[in-house]
Amino acid sequence: MPDIDALKAEAKRILSEGMVDMVIGFKAGDTPLHPQPAFFKTPDEVDQLVYNALCQNNLATYLTRFPKNQKIGMVVRGCESRSVNALVFEGQHPKDGLYLIGVPCEGIIDWRKIVEQTGEEVFSIFEQSNNTVLVESKSGFFTLEKETLLHESCSRCIHPNPISANVVIGELLPEGDPALAREKVAAFASLSMEERHAWFRQEAERCIRCYACREACPMCYCEECFVDHITPRWTESGTTPAGMQGWHIVRAFHQTGRCTSCGACERACPMDIKMTYLTEKLNEDMRRKYNFEVGLDATTPPPFSTVTLDDKSRFVI
Amino acid sequence: MSETPKLVLFQCQWCLFAPADQEWVDTQLPENIHLAKVPCTGRINPLYLLNAVQSGADGVMVSGCLPEQCHFKTGNIAARRQLEEFSDYLNHIGYEQDRIRFLWLDLQDRGVIQKELAAFEAQITALGPAHNLATRVAETVGGANA
Repeated sequence: MPDIDALKAEAKRILSEGMVDMVIGFKAGDTPLHPQPAFFKTPDEVDQLVYNALCQNNLATYLTRFPKNQKIGMVVRGCESRSVNALVFEGQHPKDGLYLIGVPCEGIIDWRKIVEQTGEEVFSIFEQSNNTVLVESKSGFFTLEKETLLHESCSRCIHPNPISANVVIGELLPEGDPALAREKVAAFASLSMEERHAWFRQEAERCIRCYACREACPMCYCEECFVDHITPRWTESGTTPAGMQGWHIVRAFHQTGRCTSCGACERACPMDIKMTYLTEKLNEDMRRKYNFEVGLDATTPPPFSTVTLDDKSRFVI
Repeated sequence: MSETPKLVLFQCQWCLFAPADQEWVDTQLPENIHLAKVPCTGRINPLYLLNAVQSGADGVMVSGCLPEQCHFKTGNIAARRQLEEFSDYLNHIGYEQDRIRFLWLDLQDRGVIQKELAAFEAQITALGPAHNLATRVAETVGGANA
């Protein structure tokens, strides 16, 4: 865990020196399991800054919601810094209008797993140094292993350390193993066509079309989404099976070569629909075919934004 | 399968260099093949393929020019990257990859599209109707006016 005082001091420093107009971070939310994104504009407000493993939003989402001439400071983890890089490449914010305070991330705790294991209303939660989490709930105290609580996309995280951050607070962590993501995709692909489709239907057709996944995703910043467009109607946008399948297919496909596998879409979903099995397949393909990893720098174009004539031998009829 | 499969042909308007081939596609295409002519394969958004699939197509064929022969220089290569990945992705969730076929035509090809469409139809007939992904509109027996 990074030193919260050092984090606050750095945020205060950049605000008071006028390096940024605003620092985006987290503050305590209404319930102990849900810290919420916060926008600090004065050094005094920074006292509310919170950072723990329950901070589940991808803060890069908010980058596109402010004018480009605003200087923004942001507390970033590995996935967030890569999302920021991808957004900078897409011209959503100038690189010099950003100040990134990097935090090496040990993984985000899925609050649903805490509720599942304690089964009660949670009053408070403490992270302990020996990789356990102490949870106080209605019926007493529980000590849970942090490993078992991590969100799925965090347990196979490849880049826990912030990339191209201006300053890093805390010690760098070892890089993750890409084989874990590959294994997950391969395990799904090894199922039969009918099994894969049954899983997809079961997940997609529970959707209530609240678009929380779209709001949580840093790369979903279109002013008008393809499902909202009326004339011409690009796709069916009702809650029919075809409409829901279409949404899930195309939402994920639009993230090809842009998704950082942060899992914010899954964590935001009120129906607990799994979505990363789609985006991770696409990411894995980008890694395998084009040796491309999203957001490692802000200059490499994603595979779908560029072409090379080497491709002519790539696809045989 | 007794019925003829429903196919959709996305055709780049430059890929059929021979006027006879283009005229055949424009006027004599069999009734079970729906033609969507596009200015370039690069214009085909993967969403169009999904729309074809969700409108009940049993197979989708995309016909375009060979690399380096694109009327717009690189449209076909950009399209290949996206569409090939999209068909692979649809295969991941239950729409067989064999149902989407790419046909890259040389400018010197004559009479290839007729043969390829026939071969594709035979392949789709063998696979049977697509049933996995939901279709958008419930089919009316005997057509819309029945």
